[in-house]
Amino acid sequence: MTGAGLRKLTSLAADVTRLRRALAARGIRSAAGEAEGGAGRAEAAEVRPGRLVEGSTLQARPVGPPEPMPGPVAFLDGVQRQELLGYVGTMPLVWAEVAAGVRLREDRRFSTATVLRASLLLGRPEALAAAGTLDGLDTVPLPDDGPLHPVRDLQLARAAVDARRGALERAAGEGFRAASDAWLVVDGSLAESPVWARDPRMLGVVKSHASLPFDGADQLTYLALPFGHRTSVFAPASRAVAPVWSWALRLWPSEGHDLLHGLVRVEAAPGAASVAAADRLSRWLLAERAPIAGTDRRWDRLLYGIHEVERSLRAGR
Amino acid sequence: MPASAVLGRVVATELRPATPHQFHFWTPLDAPVGIGAIVRVDAPGRTVYGVVVDGAAWSDLATPLHAVLAADGDPATEADDPSARTEVRLYTAAVLRQVPEEPLQPVPLGAVRLAGDADVAAALRMDTYAGEGGTGLPVGVYGSGEAGAPVYLDAEFLLGPEAAHCTITGVSGLATKTSAVLFLLASIFQRFPARKGSIAAVCFNVKGPDLCFLDQAGTLSEEDRALWARLGLAPRPFERVRYYAPFKPDGVNLNTLRSNAALAANTEPLVWGLREVLDYAEVLLNREDVDAKTDAFIDFLAERVVGREFHDITLGEDPFHVQSFADLEQLFQAIFAFLEVQSRGAEVWRTHHVATIRKVRNRLGNISTRSKGLVTDDGGANDLPWGRFDDRGVYVVDVAGLDPLAQDLVFARVVSKLREHLERRDLGVDHVVVFVDELNKYAPADGPDTYVRKMLLDLSERGRYLGLVLFAAQQFRSQVQRRVVGNAGTSIYGRMDPDELATPGYGTISPSTRAKLAALPKGELMLRHPHFTQPVFVRFPRPAVLAGREGVERFPPEPDLPFPAAVARQLRTLGAEVTADRVAALIDGRREEDVRRALAATRRGRPDDAVAFFLAALGRRVGGEAPVRRGIPPVRTSRDPYG
Repeated sequence: MTGAGLRKLTSLAADVTRLRRALAARGIRSAAGEAEGGAGRAEAAEVRPGRLVEGSTLQARPVGPPEPMPGPVAFLDGVQRQELLGYVGTMPLVWAEVAAGVRLREDRRFSTATVLRASLLLGRPEALAAAGTLDGLDTVPLPDDGPLHPVRDLQLARAAVDARRGALERAAGEGFRAASDAWLVVDGSLAESPVWARDPRMLGVVKSHASLPFDGADQLTYLALPFGHRTSVFAPASRAVAPVWSWALRLWPSEGHDLLHGLVRVEAAPGAASVAAADRLSRWLLAERAPIAGTDRRWDRLLYGIHEVERSLRAGR
Repeated sequence: MPASAVLGRVVATELRPATPHQFHFWTPLDAPVGIGAIVRVDAPGRTVYGVVVDGAAWSDLATPLHAVLAADGDPATEADDPSARTEVRLYTAAVLRQVPEEPLQPVPLGAVRLAGDADVAAALRMDTYAGEGGTGLPVGVYGSGEAGAPVYLDAEFLLGPEAAHCTITGVSGLATKTSAVLFLLASIFQRFPARKGSIAAVCFNVKGPDLCFLDQAGTLSEEDRALWARLGLAPRPFERVRYYAPFKPDGVNLNTLRSNAALAANTEPLVWGLREVLDYAEVLLNREDVDAKTDAFIDFLAERVVGREFHDITLGEDPFHVQSFADLEQLFQAIFAFLEVQSRGAEVWRTHHVATIRKVRNRLGNISTRSKGLVTDDGGANDLPWGRFDDRGVYVVDVAGLDPLAQDLVFARVVSKLREHLERRDLGVDHVVVFVDELNKYAPADGPDTYVRKMLLDLSERGRYLGLVLFAAQQFRSQVQRRVVGNAGTSIYGRMDPDELATPGYGTISPSTRAKLAALPKGELMLRHPHFTQPVFVRFPRPAVLAGREGVERFPPEPDLPFPAAVARQLRTLGAEVTADRVAALIDGRREEDVRRALAATRRGRPDDAVAFFLAALGRRVGGEAPVRRGIPPVRTSRDPYG
């Protein structure tokens, strides 16, 4: 961990310690440590077959040389962090901080367009009642209809934090797009929001490949995509709320690396226009490879603009 | 950016903490701040002033390899990246002053602003001395443009008695050392408080024409005039300047680049006789020469022989009247003759060993031969106006044409005389600034401990109590005797040689400040002054005098005149209306040494009718009469079979 990271943790720890002391004064047994799964979303690895909408067979298509995105471009991302504060009996109390932001790039420089933040206190209603009111914290009650199980409650808390972060991201993105014509590139899927999913000037860039849209020979085509190529456009099968169309794009050569090195899945609004624009949009994203977000271990799939938003959100805490 | 706008913000981390003496602040990429900028930090209950001494920039690039990778190995494409890398500009500032000064605390994490005029005055503590009626002497302008803030030196610390002396260091031709000194002198002359007494300057012109036209107005640009005005000074040349230059070996043409007839009115010869030289004979002796025997013999000559009637039966019946080097040579010859002939090879005369006598004769004879124009054989001297120095007068001693030994002699004698008169308080002024270039030559860090070096060391250590102040310039401060530069309260640096900056004496200056010094443009200087806790950069205007090169073009040196014409010109400077033809007629048939003697007498007498006085001094023409000279017995040698 870098010195800066260590100091950031120290600052966070001071906040959390203050909360723990406040709760302890109210008779709640404090506990330490990051809540299970608190570092981010967990996804199950699975194959969820997609439906081709461009051609009849899945193909690797060269997209051409990188091409800069014209005009101002915005990037959206969200961050979250959670800490176990203590237990009311065996009911966990969790503190979380979520944030979402949009950074607008004009003339190669970034500026913050939107930032939304929330600090949360999560727990069963009974636990929240015992904790009382804590300044600056939104209380998020967890379901109490099932049997009490601390680990399950922690998993529910993590899901609730995910949901709040997602909600902030949607609010930030929709607010920005309502006020601006600039393209908005989202870290993750557009399928979380019907508004996003039908927005012709939004792109989702998905770094995770836990869910694959093809198996068999098509999977090989998908995962062995050459550098500078994209797959045919397909409609991914999704449990999310809105349909989108998608294609995979290899941003960096994978030879000598993992299969997934430099591989992203791009999402755009469903429709023929997205198929027609897939090459151009891919060329735009290829141009976004530089500069490299080299301080992040996911640099091969992380666009610099997204990296900027994430770093800005973490620094601005 | 206005001075009051927020420029940056102090940051402090474990690795880069803010301390009572140093802090760091970040700024936008386009912030108008650089090395040497003075900034102000505002925080509740505390204001801190600092000067930027270092800067750093970095980006979020984890490794250069990522830059290569992103650019596909082509550096030209990086500018085409859709996003500019995030980068930070972080500056380090050294604290100049904290308000309040106690308790001294680490610099708070406040907003940073560029310093305005009042801030600069407070930061440099000029508010304590540079106000109305104070002792502030404008030295330059901090900052860019006409709105720069004036920077003042404290006369109490530049000219004594609290501290004194000033050294100026920089490479030749680019550091504008002479210009800086001339501007500073002009500032002193215009702003030195009357209640502190009168002041004059003695400048030694050791090379070229740099100091030859201080009484002539130079051409100033509008920017220079604006700087003069900003500093509250009038751009005008020095009003009371007198030049002193030795003659050339012919004894009538001056050995100076200021030989144009239009400038003759205030250009005088510098001529010394035996007495003037003998008093400073130690200058002419090297380390091996300086012993008790030599001292004793020189004292004997000074006290018993020169300027009085000396009679020694061993040397003949007639007394000696030693007034000149020629007279002294006759005495030496008589002594040698006595030892070799009458004493049959004896080695001692009046307790003085013949080797000692020969050594003194050689050294004294050497100066009269090598510096024939400075040292006259006719006994008549023309010197600086000891006891009659003018307030705000500049006395330029042009020794550029003299050989180094004679330069040492002139320097030693003039400074010693200044000291003597200041000690007696009869110089005519209360303070004198002595400006000497090439200090590393006169007070070198290495080499023999010469009389001149000892004298300069004494001047640097005790001169401020007398009102004798040294302004010295040198290319390499590291090559000057440490105590001499160490005693200088004020140090000024122009463009510096990088090798010089690598010497240990500059270790306290930050690398960035050193880099700035190595590339400092003309007209910019770095100052160290007792009131300034950190070095400060300033700009100063060109002095309002004619620069040496332009002066030589406007007043080209005249070729050496024939003897009668040169004498006529000398007489004209004394107020006579006389032509070269008339002088030629007057001196026709006269020996040149007689003419020179008469001219010297006229110069000393300053009569109303110079020609008549000159003629009277020349005396009656004695046709064909051979001068009576003391005979010297022939020297017997063993090779003369008939002796």
